[in-house]
Amino acid sequence: MRRAFLGEFEEIVLLVVAACPTDAYGVTIWEDVQQQTGRSITMSAVHTTLYRLEEKGYLSSVLGGATAERGGRRKRFFALTPLSVRALQDNQEVRNRLWKAIPQDKFQLIVG
Amino acid sequence: MANETNQPRPPRLPDRLLEWCCAPHLLEDVQGDLYEVYYKRLAQAGPVRARREFTLAVFHYITPFFLKRKPQETRSDEYPAPSLLSLSMFRNYLTIALRTLAHNKAYSIINVVGLSIGLAVAMLIILYTKDEVSYDRFHANTPTLYRITSRQLTPAGKQEGVEGNTGNLQGPKFSAGIPEIQSFVRYREDRHDIKRGTEVISQTVYAADTSFFSVFSFPLLSGDPKTALQQPHSVVISADMAEKQFGTTEALGKTIPVKNTIDAKEVFEPYTVTGVAQNSPQNSSIKFDMLIPMVVSQEEMASLENWFNIFQNTFVVLSPNADLRAVEAKMNRIYLADAQASIKMMADKFGVKTKTEYALQPFTAMHLSTELPATNGLVDKSNPNFSYILTGIALFILLIACINFVNLTVARSLKRAKEIGVRKVVGGGRTQLVIQFLGESFLLCFGAFVLALLLVLVSLPTFNQLANKQLALSYLFDVKLVVGYVALFLTTAFLAGFYPALVLSNYSPVQTLYNRFNLAGKNYLQKSLVVLQFALASFLIIATLISYAQFNYLTTKDLGYDDKGLVSVGKPRLTHAEANVLTNELLKSQTLVDVAPKNGGQWGTVAKVNGGTEINFAYETVSPSYLPMLKIPVVQGRNFSVDLPTDSTQSVLVNEAFVKEAGWKNPIGQVVNFWYSNDEKYIVVGVVKDHHFNDLNKTITPQLFTMKPRNMYGRVFIKIKPNTETASLRHIERVFKRLFPLTPYAYSFMDEENRKRYESEAKWKQIMLFGAVLTIFISCIGLFGLATLSAERRTKEIGIRKVLGASVSSIIQLLSADFLTLVALSFLVAFPAAWYVMREWLQNYPYRVDISIWTFVAASALAILVAFLTVSFQSITTALTNPIKSLRSE
Repeated sequence: MRRAFLGEFEEIVLLVVAACPTDAYGVTIWEDVQQQTGRSITMSAVHTTLYRLEEKGYLSSVLGGATAERGGRRKRFFALTPLSVRALQDNQEVRNRLWKAIPQDKFQLIVG
Repeated sequence: MANETNQPRPPRLPDRLLEWCCAPHLLEDVQGDLYEVYYKRLAQAGPVRARREFTLAVFHYITPFFLKRKPQETRSDEYPAPSLLSLSMFRNYLTIALRTLAHNKAYSIINVVGLSIGLAVAMLIILYTKDEVSYDRFHANTPTLYRITSRQLTPAGKQEGVEGNTGNLQGPKFSAGIPEIQSFVRYREDRHDIKRGTEVISQTVYAADTSFFSVFSFPLLSGDPKTALQQPHSVVISADMAEKQFGTTEALGKTIPVKNTIDAKEVFEPYTVTGVAQNSPQNSSIKFDMLIPMVVSQEEMASLENWFNIFQNTFVVLSPNADLRAVEAKMNRIYLADAQASIKMMADKFGVKTKTEYALQPFTAMHLSTELPATNGLVDKSNPNFSYILTGIALFILLIACINFVNLTVARSLKRAKEIGVRKVVGGGRTQLVIQFLGESFLLCFGAFVLALLLVLVSLPTFNQLANKQLALSYLFDVKLVVGYVALFLTTAFLAGFYPALVLSNYSPVQTLYNRFNLAGKNYLQKSLVVLQFALASFLIIATLISYAQFNYLTTKDLGYDDKGLVSVGKPRLTHAEANVLTNELLKSQTLVDVAPKNGGQWGTVAKVNGGTEINFAYETVSPSYLPMLKIPVVQGRNFSVDLPTDSTQSVLVNEAFVKEAGWKNPIGQVVNFWYSNDEKYIVVGVVKDHHFNDLNKTITPQLFTMKPRNMYGRVFIKIKPNTETASLRHIERVFKRLFPLTPYAYSFMDEENRKRYESEAKWKQIMLFGAVLTIFISCIGLFGLATLSAERRTKEIGIRKVLGASVSSIIQLLSADFLTLVALSFLVAFPAAWYVMREWLQNYPYRVDISIWTFVAASALAILVAFLTVSFQSITTALTNPIKSLRSE
């Protein structure tokens, strides 16, 4: 099986889209990413990542209704695709496996 | 829903940047997100931060990812952008343009006529300036062609004066000593009597060195340019002259009898025609009909005093790479070495202390030079100020016409607001509207341009007369000129159309389609343009009035002598004995009052008074009858007397300016010493009242009258009884021809001569008048257009006013007052400017009128009157309309 490679930021964005209770679009995703990670991120970075993920097939998008706040412009709503769900799950599994492999007292030894 | 129109929009510039940078398929989404964040931040952090953050965020989108366009994929939900220049739209524009023009005939005519007058004037001036600048450029040697000039410096090195003329020595000596000078030519004007058939006529003849035709490019119709001027008795004549003299241009080898003085005897010698030249081009400073070889004797060339004998022009051709400064330095070195002895002699003998420095003036610079003008055999010298003023007037007129166009188009746009609204609603973009309106302006301008060309053709002869030129129609078809005209056309169309196009295309469709749309705002631009127009017009009115007053002053001022019924007949080298015979013969007729001979031309010389002071003065040789006949009063002492023979050898009269210059308290009995001429001393016996023996452009300078027998007379003044012109002139001619059969007879009336001196002022006057009339006319048709539109717009208002009882006069007042205020306002700008400029102009005249306050009063009255007449025509029509008509339809 060809394993998909997801970058750290890409994974965060995918997870934010997944975690969003309503339809996710540029502004909400950008705000959530900043909130969740506590990092200051430019909107263009978020947009770039979103479009890249869409190109790779990890996200799908539809254009929604226009609102006045946006000067009459439509929103682009992003949703996960089966590919991205599988990739996220894969990543999660790998991590779980690795976490489990860590000896019990190892962290305590390091942290002290 | 937040009402975004009440909130400040995101900054425009970064927004544009984003639209331009971001790939179209991503733009809507990205821009929408950015807007949303902007409005959110606007509420949270205020406009300043929101804008800054927006701008910053936009900059992050300038990355290759967003710049990259989606390759070759048209999305099904987008239409292809319509081309700005589709044929059917063009056809529609044209139709609409022609319809609007046809529906608003008055407006179209005002615009086209105004613009075409402006353009025609501009074209004429371009033609004029082109001709002025093209002077003397047709010679093949032009880039290396120079005239030898000199500067006079005081011993301290201060420049005293400049001199464009040289003598016989400069050319040959400099040419021999400086390798960079390839060739030289001396050129001098002379008058000779020649025989044409049996008739003797006085002809201007130019003498030039053999090199003339190699230095200058005057093509010969026949004859060899290399040898044409080699033999002493050869002559080159122009085609015109050949036609006059021989009736054909095939004149090679024929002879012309030319009068020469040989051993004090006058004989006609035959000169053989060795060349027939094409008529000199009209833009040439050198124009000749007869050209003979210059003959300079060996003695003349050997006499070093001739370095100071200056009377002709010398031109040189330098080698192509010659350094001008180096050549000038070499010239001065040669002069100082060669003329050393004679400089010393001049200093000893005449006390000449000034130093001379030679310089070179480019041949093409002569025509428009005020310092070193084209004089002494060179013709058509011109004042560059003339070109400047003409250009100024042309620009004024064109500007005013453009202002009309802008004002009328904007004012009339009210009527087209609906059209613009509809165009916008059905999807017309702003660019399309700009193109449409600019196109209309080009169309109008093109019409004006064609009309202007016709106007130029019609007015060219009048213009030639005014500007003293012979501009031909063929001049119009010159590549550069055509390019210039096309440029003029494009600039005008653009200038006139650009602003209206911008304003009209900016109308909001919602407002224009709403019924009670009213564009009549403050309209500051329109108002200030009207003020500017009338400021220019009243400026020119004042200039005209003042130049008229000055001209009148010059032509009617009392000259200090009586020039009525005064005939002047020229006779060169008239001895005192001959003059007596002539006088006696002439006075046999009852119709003549008196005869007084005088020296010809204007003589000037220098003498010492009070022991050592030198005075320069006009030197007049007269007879005792001269002063009484011209009614010039002798204020002190006495006039020359026929009964005192010693008067002619011992006495002189001087004018008041002379007395003042010499500082005499008791002028009678003072001694004037002509020290350089055998120390001759004369005693002042009388003081003559100052009179204007020169034209009024010059101050009265010292003047001295003598009867010295050795000085020859040059002309004779004859006073005739009133209304006896025919008989008197016939008598004079008969006597003259009998006594001097070999001298050409020509007479002139002094009062006519005096009037002719102010031809240049007369031209100024006329040009000013033309300028003023045209500017006023164009301004007024513009005002008329505006008044019409304003009256149309206020039809309903006036209807209601009338229904409520307003009188006709109050309505006229209402409609006219606005415009008249603007006209009055324009005086504030125009008057100080006109006062300043005209005062400067009058400084050129030692005798001038004062600028009177009445000039300004008259100018303002005239401007207001003309403006009122223009406006009131429309106002009265509107005020008289039946209110029912204007109020019935709503």
